[in-house]
Amino acid sequence: MNVIAFQPRMLQLDGPWRTGELNAMVETLMPEATRPGGLGWDVGLTEIGDPQFYLLGPPQDECLLCISRIGRRYVLEDGAGHVLFEHYRLSLLVERAKAALQKRKAQIVARAALVWCALRETVEERLDALVLEGEELLAHCVPQLAALA
Amino acid sequence: MARQIQFAKKAPEAKELRRRAGAWLKELRACAGLSQIQLAERLGLKYYTFISQVENGFGRVPTESMEAWARALAIEPSAFARRLLSFYDPELHRLLFEVKE
Repeated sequence: MNVIAFQPRMLQLDGPWRTGELNAMVETLMPEATRPGGLGWDVGLTEIGDPQFYLLGPPQDECLLCISRIGRRYVLEDGAGHVLFEHYRLSLLVERAKAALQKRKAQIVARAALVWCALRETVEERLDALVLEGEELLAHCVPQLAALA
Repeated sequence: MARQIQFAKKAPEAKELRRRAGAWLKELRACAGLSQIQLAERLGLKYYTFISQVENGFGRVPTESMEAWARALAIEPSAFARRLLSFYDPELHRLLFEVKE
C-alpha cells in the first residue's frame, strides 16, 4: 500500500475578516460601545486586499486603534500609525489593544482631573481677591458710616 | 432662539471631510505612480497599513509628517499642508486663508 505524504496545509489567511476574527475583536473591545459617546468600529481593506479593523472614538469618530492582517501576521497600530504590537495570534493582539485602550482612558481621566484642579485653583484665587477687596471696602466705609450715625 | 456657537465639527461632517482628504491623497499617490507599499517605504514606515487607514478616511496625516508625505508625493509642502487643513480643520483654514480684513 502506498502512503501519500501530504504537505502540511498552511492556514490560508487572506481576503476580508472571517466571522471568528471579527467576533474576537468586537467582543473584547466593544463593551465601551454601549455607553453614550463610546467607541465604534468599522472595517476596510488595503489596496492589495489586506483587511483592517478600525476602532473609532469620540469626538469625531476618528481611528484610535487599527488592527490589520498582513499574510498570517496581525499588526496593531495607533491612530498616528505607530506600530504598538504585532503577532500571529489575534487573541494576544486584541488583549494588547484592550490594554492600550485602558491606558488611553486613564490618560483622559488624568487630564480631566488636571483641568478641574487648575480651574478650581483659578476660581478660588479670584474669589479670594473679591472677598479681600470687599473686606477692605468695608473696613474703609464702616468708620465713616459710624461717624455719620 | 439664540443660535448656539458650534465649537467642534459634528462627527459625520468630520468623517466625510476625512474621507475626502483620503480620496485626495489616494489621487496624489496615483499621480506619483506609487503603491501604498512604496509610499510607506518612502515615509520610513514598517508597514503600509497606515497609508490605507488614512486613505480610507479613518485617520489623518500627522502634522509632524506632513512634509515627508508632501515630498514623497512630489507636491509643495505648504500647499499640501494648506489643502489638508481645509479638510481636517476647515474653520481654521477659513480664518487663516479666506477671511479678509
